[in-house]
This record gives sequence, C-alpha cells and structure tokens, in this order.
Amino acid sequence: MKTVVIDPRFTADASKADVWLPIRPGTDVALGLTWIRYIIANKLYDADFVKRWSNLPFLVNTKTKMIIKGNELFKGADDKTFVVWDKKTNSAKPLPFPYDDNLEPALEGTFTVNGIQCKPGFQLLKERAEPWTLEKGGKECWLNPKSIEKAIKIYTKDTPSSVALGVATDQTPNSAQAAQMSAVLNILMGNFEKPGVMLQRYEDKGVGGVLRTSKLKGFLSEKQLNKRLGSKEHKGMLHWWIAQPTAILDAMTTGKPYKMKAWLERSGNKLGTVANAGAWVKGMSNLELIVHMYMYPTSFSAYADYLLPVTEWLETDFITASFNQMFARQATTHLYETVNEAWIWARIAKRCGELGHENCKRSFVKANTAPESPYFDTYEHQLDEWTSFFGMTWKEYKAKCPFEYIPMNRFRRYYVYKETDPKTGKVKGFNTPTGKVEGYMESLIVLGRTGKPFTTFPQSPASKDYDPLPYYMTPSENPYNSVGKKFPLVMTNGRLPFWHHTTLRNIPYLREIKPYAEIWVNPMDAKKYGVSQGDWVWVESARGKIQAKALVTEGMAKGVVYMERFWNPETLNSATHGWREMNVNVLSKQTAPFNDICGTYTLRGYQVKISKASGAPKGIWQKPEQFEPWMPKVSEPTKTVEL
Amino acid sequence: MKKTALVIDLDRCIGCYSCEVACKNENNVALGVQYNKVFTMGPTGKFPNLEMYYLPAMCQSCKDAPCVAVCPTGASYVAKDGVILIDSKKCIACLSCISACPYGARKFNEEAKYVEKCHMCEHLLEAGDKPACVKACCAKARIVGDVNDPNSEVSKKIANAGKNAHSLPDEGNHPATRYILHPKTAKWQNRKSWTFFQSK
Repeated sequence: MKTVVIDPRFTADASKADVWLPIRPGTDVALGLTWIRYIIANKLYDADFVKRWSNLPFLVNTKTKMIIKGNELFKGADDKTFVVWDKKTNSAKPLPFPYDDNLEPALEGTFTVNGIQCKPGFQLLKERAEPWTLEKGGKECWLNPKSIEKAIKIYTKDTPSSVALGVATDQTPNSAQAAQMSAVLNILMGNFEKPGVMLQRYEDKGVGGVLRTSKLKGFLSEKQLNKRLGSKEHKGMLHWWIAQPTAILDAMTTGKPYKMKAWLERSGNKLGTVANAGAWVKGMSNLELIVHMYMYPTSFSAYADYLLPVTEWLETDFITASFNQMFARQATTHLYETVNEAWIWARIAKRCGELGHENCKRSFVKANTAPESPYFDTYEHQLDEWTSFFGMTWKEYKAKCPFEYIPMNRFRRYYVYKETDPKTGKVKGFNTPTGKVEGYMESLIVLGRTGKPFTTFPQSPASKDYDPLPYYMTPSENPYNSVGKKFPLVMTNGRLPFWHHTTLRNIPYLREIKPYAEIWVNPMDAKKYGVSQGDWVWVESARGKIQAKALVTEGMAKGVVYMERFWNPETLNSATHGWREMNVNVLSKQTAPFNDICGTYTLRGYQVKISKASGAPKGIWQKPEQFEPWMPKVSEPTKTVEL
Repeated sequence: MKKTALVIDLDRCIGCYSCEVACKNENNVALGVQYNKVFTMGPTGKFPNLEMYYLPAMCQSCKDAPCVAVCPTGASYVAKDGVILIDSKKCIACLSCISACPYGARKFNEEAKYVEKCHMCEHLLEAGDKPACVKACCAKARIVGDVNDPNSEVSKKIANAGKNAHSLPDEGNHPATRYILHPKTAKWQNRKSWTFFQSK
C-alpha cells in the first residue's frame, strides 16, 4: 500500500509515507480542487461509475442552481428520474433510476433545454476546479507542484484508494467544503463499497440506532428551536442538534439575542478547547450558574459554582458494538466518590419534572420517547433498556458477550448498491433522494433555505444559499494581509499520541515524557526571530499571549509553527488556573468568518508571532520528580453511599 | 544456550510511547527513571526531503555482558533464559556496572540504593507471558524470543531482514537486541557511543 500524508508537520505517518505534502494550514480545499482539476483534465476518473452511479451527469439549471427533475420536462417521469444530455441524439432525455443503457449522457458542455441554460453537475464541478492548476495549487498551499502531481498519481493509479480526513480540516472555516471535496474525490474515483476502500455499507441490523444518544428532537417546540443560537445561518448544525459556539459566546457576553443564565458542562477542560479561551472566561462572568461534572477539577472548574464528580468512561458499564459483534464494556476499578453522569442528567430532568416542566416529566415515559430511549431513575435500568434490543437484561447480555449479531459475510459485503432490492425489484443504489452518490449537493441549497432534512419545523432561509460544490476560502488571517504583517507565522495544531483531548495532563508517567508545550519552528524562522533549540518563547496572536518551548526542526515548513493543546493542572490553584500559561487556544480565533454550513471557527491556520522569553512560566512543573504528588497512593476503601 | 532478547521492527514503530509507559506501569518504575525509552531519530535531511524513525532503547541483552563481568558481588548475572538480571539484595551500589554498560542502560535507584534496568519482565516470562512493552505495542513492532534458536520468531525476523537488521555499536559485548530498519523508512544512524539515560 502507498500513502500520501498531507500535514504541515513531519509526523510518524509522514515519515513512512511515499509522499509528504507539508501544506499551509487552512488551504486543504485549494489542494483538493487542484486534485479534482488534475483528475478531470487528465481523464483519470472512473467515467462509468460517474455516469451510472453519481448525480454528476444530471442537468442543473444554471440560474436556479437546482437539478432539473424528470417530471419538469417529461410527463409521467417518477421522482427518481432526472434529465441528462444524450450525446447520441443530441437532446435532453429522461434518465430513470438506475440507468438507461441506450443513452450516452454528456458529462461536459452547456445546453439549452426549453429556453433554459443548463449544465451537467460534472461541468459545473469542472468549472469550479478549472483555475486550480498544479502551479496555482502549489503557490496557494506552499507545495511543490511536482509533489502534488506525484501524490495525485498515487491516489488515482494505485486504486482502490481512500481519503482519510483527520480533524485538521474540521478546525478551519472551510470545514464542510473539505468533507465535500473528499466526497467528490471518492465519487470521481468510484471508491464506493469496493474491497479496499473506506466507504463501506455495513449491515448493522439497527444496532447503531440503539447505541445512539437520544436527541428527542420532537420534544423541542418550534419557538424554542428558533431560539437555537446560530442555527439560522448554520443549519448544518441541526444535524447534531447543537448551537454555534461563537453565537453562544456572543449571547453570554452581550445578552443578545437573549441572556444566557446557566452552563452545565460535562467535558474536561473546555478552556483548553474553545477558540480564544480568554473571551469565554469573560463571558462566563455574566452567567448565574456554572456546573462542572468531571472526574477531577480542571481549569473550567475554577469558574464553576458546583462540581459534580463523575466517573471516567472506562469506570462505567456500557453496551458496545465492534464489527459484527456485541461487547459489554465493564467498569474498571472505580476510584473516589463519583457517579455515572447519566444518573446526574436523569436526576436533573426528574427534579425539573417535579417542579412542573412538562417535557421533563414526559421524558421518563417510554411511550413518549419511542423509538428513542427515555430517562431512567437508575443507570442499571438504562442498561437494561439498551440490551432489551436483544431481548436480554444487562446481566444476561454481559454473560453472553461477546456474540455475533450477524454473520461476518452478511455484515460486510461489497457493492451493496448493486444488489437487488426485493421490494422494488430494482438495484438498491444509495440511500439518497436520487439513489445516486451526490457530487452536486443540491441538498445543501435545500438545507440552507429550509433546514431540511434535519429540522423538525420549517426554518427561514439563511442569508445566503449554501454552495452545492466545494469552494475554497482563503484563511482570513494570512501572511499576505495586514494581520500577517504583525503576526507573520501560521499556527497549526495537532495531537500527540499519548494524550486525548485535554485529558491525561495530570498523569505523571505521561507528563514526564512531555512536561511542557512545545512549539515546532523551522530553523530559518528560529534564526529570523532569535530563537534557539530549547528556548522558552512567547507566542502571541491578536487575541493573547502564551509560552512554549522551542523545538527547532526541519520537520516544519518555513512560515508555519505547530503547537499541541496544553494546560497545566499543577497551577490550577494559582491565578492562571492552569489555562493561561501554554494553552494554544488562548491564541485561536473565535470570530467570523465561519463555515457557512456548520459555523466552524478557526482553531488552525491563524497568525502568530514568536519571540524569545526569559524563562519558563511561573509555577509549572518540568522535572519528572515534580509530578510525584500525582502518583497513585494506597488509601482506605471509601464507603458506598446510597442515594 | 538460550538467549532471550527483543527484536524491534522500526519500520513499524510509530513513536507512540506505549512501551515506555507500559514498562513503567508494570514495573512500578520511579519518575525520572526509564528501563525503556523511545528516542526520535531525526528528522534528518533538508525540508521537505526528510527521514525520521523512532528508537526504543533498553538493555541490549549482550552475549558478553560487561555489566556482569565487572560486578564484584555477582548481583548482575545471566539467568537461564539468557536475560541479564540484577539481584538487588547482592548489589552494593559500587556503580561499576553503570560505567561498564556501553549504552547507559542502567540506572541507580537513589531511594532503594541499588542499580536497576530492564529485566525483560522476567516475572512475566517465567509465567509463560511476554514483557509488558511487547504486549502493549499497538504497532506489533516488538517481539521477544530466543535469538539462539534458529526456528524462533525473532531469529526468522532477523534472518529475513538480512543487512537491514541492525544493532547498536558492538565493542566486543555482542548485543543480542536487533532493530529492523529498511532504507525505505530511513537510513540507520550509527553513533559512536550511546547513553540512553542521563545520570542525575
């Protein structure tokens, strides 16, 4: 197998890759469009798949941007019939699902049908990618055009192939388009449900649905839904049924569009993960109540009115699936006086119900929540509810685990889309309105205008239509604009293998491996800004200033710096509360532009400057022995308290 | 005679530090002390044409172990399976072995006043199990076995690698540990001398 790694830093993966593309942070979609252009221009795509199984041959009205439905032009056409330009007859023809072998659909060209100008989605995609030559892509992304070409050749010729998007592209305002671009690449190459590709359709017999958290979408009134912050502009978030972070921050800070009153937090150190942490701490001072439920205090706890100690996930029982088998995750040794957070949420809902909240009352009755899970008085009952899917109690289930819920040969089979659907007698196709994979995402226009398919009530349109094709957004702070003049370096982010999110910074055996945050700097930049190997440096953006230790390395592109997100539990009880010293998200950018669809802000690809500092931040631990207070100690068993 | 040693496939190692932490957990190793430590070799070259690999370092299981030869009390000895061990009760803290080890793989335990190092999780080997680092290796880069048995997994791995099976510099101590590294991943870096662990 050959690999291409697209990452500004020279990681373990990059060191083993056939091609390393050290991309300028935030420009991934530009690179994707470069790939798309090259693949189309050099006819490297799977034309048969694109014609038969994608919606890219369908004619699009260039004025409305909507795909022409079959029944708009042809009487009696069903809702899975669309219109293509047939090259044989040089005319518009209906293309019923799944395909018509008598037709030869045009992928490229501009046509007039009934006086309306239209183009196949493929043509529109081609036009979108047209400016992105290898040279232009190389210039924008700070890459060698020859290396880009080598990577594309590996991707297209060493097929089947897959694109694995990490979270890097999710952390820039161009997030949704990066996912779209990856989907388009898969469509062009026909990388669906073949052996060896990532996009597979497994037969999970509804198990995935059982394991999903209840959103109880139906419980939310239209009035309440319309109050969800940021969701009018960024309707993609309705998919997760969440609000937009910056809209929440703005409401907290300004009281507009309404005053925020309480924050119930159930993750680790939010101040290590939100963009521009300092702005959040200011906003939090306007709240009436802050509750933090977690395993141990973090920086966030310092601002909380109540701390509710909860179990770590491995300290809880849980029903879990892997491939075609079911497993019972069983709690490890339980330390300290904590409870499962599910119990806390249920208690809050219960009490609200007792105080007269109708939906909280209803949420304990299965008939009201079905097919989703209701709240239960105890976690044991919740477990029994999950395992009832298999006709078992939790006790019976865990005794039987692991078991296959479907044989492997039925769980994983290839080319599901080519199977015959016994109900219709036709091939199954894909689970989309067209039955095809949709490279031209008309559905995004519909989403932006109505909130469908995620909303429970019709929504008023976003101020601007979402684009059905991937487009590139230049990072709003960049080395070429005014911000870049003051802050010349591009900051990126990324994980270290032994830490997960903001957890584990208080584990002595891990902190002795990496006691402080490092900033990776190219030797030329280090020289330019007067920084040497191992120096403590100041890192500053338009939003704040932190410190890190310089790792001067060739494994970083010139003009780019990298930091892992970090916080210091050892200074929790000081004025910094552990989040001001080395937390890269003091620097990141929470303001517009956002991703139009999902509201994403900028955690990577913003501008910073570096300068030599006189020493380490006050009070931080650097020597292994300093972490001794966090080593586990034998203690007397604690009593179990019945509540 | 049996010689139990580790063979580490550096083409597979991803520098995740699991072995380092698993070792400490299993053996309750003090903060600041490592029996096993992962070094990043590189990146070498000029951006963007770079090479890098990870080198997990520990006792190299010498066939003619200088640490055993210099030990005046017999505290350092070779067990039946070829693993080099330290009987802490016999250790008089003369530190001769620390000076003798060409790789600096030994460390003095200040608190307990004896020398310690990787013992290949001898307690697990005796129970028919494998060292903690081998079990924790998510890349399956670490294997353990008898390098003197041509049919063992380690011997086959070494034979298959040919000239791509490397050892740290040999000053007549004949380290048995082998590192597999092919040029496709990176060029093996030779150093004249090694000191894994800085003394305090």
